[in-house]
Parts: sequence; C-alpha cells; structure tokens
Amino acid sequence: MTQQTPVRPLGGVDGGALIDEDWEAYRFRVHRSAYRDPGVFRDEIAKIWGHTWLYLGHETEIPNAGDFKTRTLGGRPLIFCRDSDGEVKVFLNACTHRGTILCRHNEGNTKFFQCFYHAWAFSNSGDLAALPGDESYPDDPGFRESMRLRQVPRLQIHEGFVFIAFTPDVPDLLTHLGPAAHYMSLTAKIGPHGMQTLPGVQLYSVKGNWKLAVENAMDGYHFAPTHNTFVGYLRETGFAVTDDDQYAYDLGGGHGLLVLTGHNGRIGMVWEPRFGDEEKARTVAKRNEMIARLGPEPAAEIADASRILFVFPNLLLFDLEALTIRQLEPVAPDRTDVRAWQFVETGEPESVRALRIKTMVSFVGPGGLATPDDIEAYEAVQRGIVATADSADPAHDWSDMSRGMANEKQGNQGRSIDEGAMRSFWRHWADRVGAATAVAGDPPADPGAPGPSAALASGKE
Amino acid sequence: MTSTTSAAVVSVGTRTVTRAEVEDFLYREAQLLDEWRLDEWFTMFEADGRMEVPTTDWAGWDATTAGYFVCDDYDLIRARVKRLKSRKAHAENPHSRTHRMVSNVILLEAGAETVWISANFLIHRYRDNGAYTYVGRYEHVLKVDDDGLRFRVRRAIPVMESMDPGARLSFIL
Repeated sequence: MTQQTPVRPLGGVDGGALIDEDWEAYRFRVHRSAYRDPGVFRDEIAKIWGHTWLYLGHETEIPNAGDFKTRTLGGRPLIFCRDSDGEVKVFLNACTHRGTILCRHNEGNTKFFQCFYHAWAFSNSGDLAALPGDESYPDDPGFRESMRLRQVPRLQIHEGFVFIAFTPDVPDLLTHLGPAAHYMSLTAKIGPHGMQTLPGVQLYSVKGNWKLAVENAMDGYHFAPTHNTFVGYLRETGFAVTDDDQYAYDLGGGHGLLVLTGHNGRIGMVWEPRFGDEEKARTVAKRNEMIARLGPEPAAEIADASRILFVFPNLLLFDLEALTIRQLEPVAPDRTDVRAWQFVETGEPESVRALRIKTMVSFVGPGGLATPDDIEAYEAVQRGIVATADSADPAHDWSDMSRGMANEKQGNQGRSIDEGAMRSFWRHWADRVGAATAVAGDPPADPGAPGPSAALASGKE
Repeated sequence: MTSTTSAAVVSVGTRTVTRAEVEDFLYREAQLLDEWRLDEWFTMFEADGRMEVPTTDWAGWDATTAGYFVCDDYDLIRARVKRLKSRKAHAENPHSRTHRMVSNVILLEAGAETVWISANFLIHRYRDNGAYTYVGRYEHVLKVDDDGLRFRVRRAIPVMESMDPGARLSFIL
C-alpha cells in the first residue's frame, strides 16, 4: 500500500506528544494517530524494522542442507536458507543483476537459485554460479564477486531462533534480548531431544496496526470479557480459570512477559481434565524427566506457569496450553500479516503431538475458539479510532492505558490484568522512533524486577 | 472393501450412494450454515465425527504431524456450536452473512461403510462493510447409513495462499 502523506515530525496534533504520562494523575495515554498515521508507520519501518534485531524464523524450519523458505520482513523479501555446508544464510530475495525476485517459491530445497529473467544463477551460499553470455562482461574476477547475493548485514541465532538486522550497527543479539533470552531458553529446554517447528503454518492478515497485536498479547485485562465463551468452555471441561497471582514484567528493551498461573492447563506440565487420563500419567513422568535432566527448580520454572513473551518488535512466544511462535509483519498502518508456527518437542509420541496440536489450535489462530475474538477486538479498535481523528476536542483522540499505574508508582509488581506491560512497550517504542513524550510527576524510583527469576533471587517471591 | 469407480454411483455395504444424494447432503449443509441453523448442522455429524481445516501451506499432513487452523474432535465441534450461538462470540456478533456455492462433487472412493467425496466451495462472507471470499475444496469421509449420510471427517481445504486481511475463520468454513 503506497501512502503519499507528507512527512512531518512525529507527534500528536500540532506537533504535540504521542505519549502522555502523568505520575501525579496516574494517567498514561497514547495518541491515536500512532495507530493511523502513515508517517508514523514509515518511521517505524525505517527506525525499528530497519535498525533493530528482527525475528526471522526458527532453524528447524530449514533442517536439511539446501532447504529454504521465503518471507518478507519489514517489507523486504528474503530467502532464509541452509546452504550446502549446513550453514544458515539469509539473503535479500532480489537478483543482483536487475533486482528481480529471485526465488518465487515459498519453500523448497535447492543448490541453486536461478533468476528466470536473464538466467543468472546463484549457489545457496550466495556465489554467482552462472552468468549467461559472460564474455560480454569485464574480464575481472572482482566482477563476479561484486555480484554475489546480498546477505543481511547481521544474523545471529539464540536457541534456534534466528534473528537478523538490516544494519550492522546493532548490539550483539544477547545484549539486545537481555532477560528475554532466558525465557526463550526455558522454552527451548522443554524437550529432552530439543524443540522444533511444525509445517502447517497459520498465515493470516489482520486489518489492524501491528502495535494493537502487541498490546493484545500483553493485556490480561481483556481475557475474561473478550474470551467469555472460551473461559466457559474451559469451565465446562472441568478447569477453573482464575487471574490470581498473575504478573506482568518489563524485561527492558521493549520486551515484555506475562506469567500466568491460573490460565489453563499445559500439555506435559499442568494437567487438566480435558487432556484425558493418558496425559495425566505422562504429565507426572514428564515432570520427573525434567527434574532428572534440569534439576527441580528449573523444571518447576518451566512447568508451573504459562508465559507470554514479547520480544521487541515482532516475536511473540505463547507458552500456554502448548507452544506457538507468532511473528508480526507490518504491511500498512492498518494492516498486519501474522505467521504462527506450532513449536513442539522433537520425538514426542504421536498421541501427545496430536493432543498438543488439537489443544493449541482450539484456542490460538484464526480458526480457534479465542483468537478470532482478539482479532475482532483489535480490528474494532482500528475501525473505531478514526472517529476522534481531527476531533473538535483534541483531548478525545487518545487511548487510555493507565490501569494499575498507582500500583506501579508504589513499586508493586505489575499484575497481568493491568496495563503496565503495554506502558513499558510504548515507552520503548517512543524511544526507538523518536516520538515526543510528555512526562509529568515522578516515575517510581524502583523500576521493578526484570523478571520472576530475579524476583525469586532477591527473595521477593 | 467394496467399491465401484463410477463417478455417479458407488456401492457401500448393501446399498448404493449416488452423486445426487451427496450433492443434496452438501447443499442442505450449505443452507443450514448460511441460515445459521447450527444445532441442525451439528446433527449431520456421526458421534465421534471430526472437523478439520488445514493451513494454507498444506501438503497432505494430518493433524498429528502439522499445525492446522481447525482440528476439532466431536466435543470441540459441540463447543464451537455453543460458542457461535452465544452473543459473547464477539467475532461473530453480529453474525457474518455467508453465501456458499458447492460444486464439482466427485465420489472418490467407497469403503465398507463410508464414501470419500470431494467438492469445490466458494464462500462469500460479508461483515462490517467488508467482503471476503474463501475458495477451497472439501474432502469428506461420509458414513453411509440406511437413512442417509453423516460426516465422519469433514475437511475444508483452503486454496488461498493465506487468510486475507479480515478473513479469519470465525464462522464454519
């Protein structure tokens, strides 16, 4: 979608702030143009997607030499492949000759990518392998070298999660991830033989700004009213849902974490009646296996709570009934492409695999019993927020995210049913895109623990 | 296995199933779904029937080896019907308007008590001033009883490359 709105400095109406934070009035507001404005969107693509680590995919999507997937990140078409030596490579999916999309398949296995236009061919490690009519080109070994496939400037992998950056000047990946790396590692330790993604990727698109998808995932407040029918289903299958003892953590760097204990059962971790008796016995065995392999405390940390991890700006890891990796790709201010993979234990029995898939997709995804209501919610926001654009009273054109702010001021651990995780996301967002922020009053002295592990370590359990 | 290869009629057990009978079954289903008569629709499943919607990258994987959009066992189909009848099913309140076209019905293979069939579907869905088109193929396993047909496996396979903006599967595909 091409937008032709003139660029102006980021800010609300009349160049005012996009974020309005007041620690006296316990008010936190986001100007609604942040979800609508094509200029804001362009700045996000340039300053966030163009200059931050982005989640591209998981190594297990391309297990064999020559495997490849194509996908778009920040609007740039990419080839995500494993070369003939087994190394993960990420190339811009454009022929170096004239820029044609080089690989037009979504996935496959190949030693060579050949452009159909003029038949230039490249090896899966990026070398220019064939150049028809090369006698007409300069007799210069540097020429072929200069026509290698363009690799992304940075590529690093944490626990199989492949991240890339379109500029070289980003910090080391683990520095960027900070405490979020630990929660990705917890997920990666679940299976004794490792974890893998499955084929059967949920590809869908929503008529909403990408930040609404982030907010929705970090927002426990909506769970009961939005998912009324799903909560009813859980109750009927014999599982009580509570929001006691559920917390939100600011992991820094825009990353956020919800830790949910009363949410629902988890395959292999926390049994509930709808999983059946076979799974009940396996849950006990699985816990013993994890204790033997990892020790009792790590096993408990992995197993006892559901988690939703947001890794800024485009990765959501749902460690719920089962595991889903969800990736956000902004397409336009009012459109986001979503890709979701089931993330499973390598080598688990087929009956467990089937239960895991059934359980997860009954909740998550555009065909589940819950996600469609989430999508409805943020598409409804996108439709509703045009009502107050250029409003006669500019004070109306703001969204309120102040829930739990008084509690936050007192230095208490944020609840998942409050909006603290969204506030920390927006603060980081404003910092990255250079959006004006109005702050009144004094923020809390103690910014809070970076995660429940640190809280445990400091005895604040 | 008792099977014939005629496109228009197959033998299942002691009786025959005609393409016209399968078409009537599919047309009736389409009508029930377009009219949101979900309780009646649910009776078209045999006990322990299943409903599946694979993802758009589907290459024949079953729901024990790959992610799906929908892989409902009988209890989940019942839960889905109950949910969709609730005004708290926000994604379908108000309901989508749907208009289904079913065609290209083929009797694929007959078993001892079932017939496998395929058909093409084209569903137009309208909601919130938006129009969405779902194109795909049904591949069903139908239990053949003396009094009619029932779904044993109801599988709707999208042929789109992805679910378009707004085109979620909050209704029955």
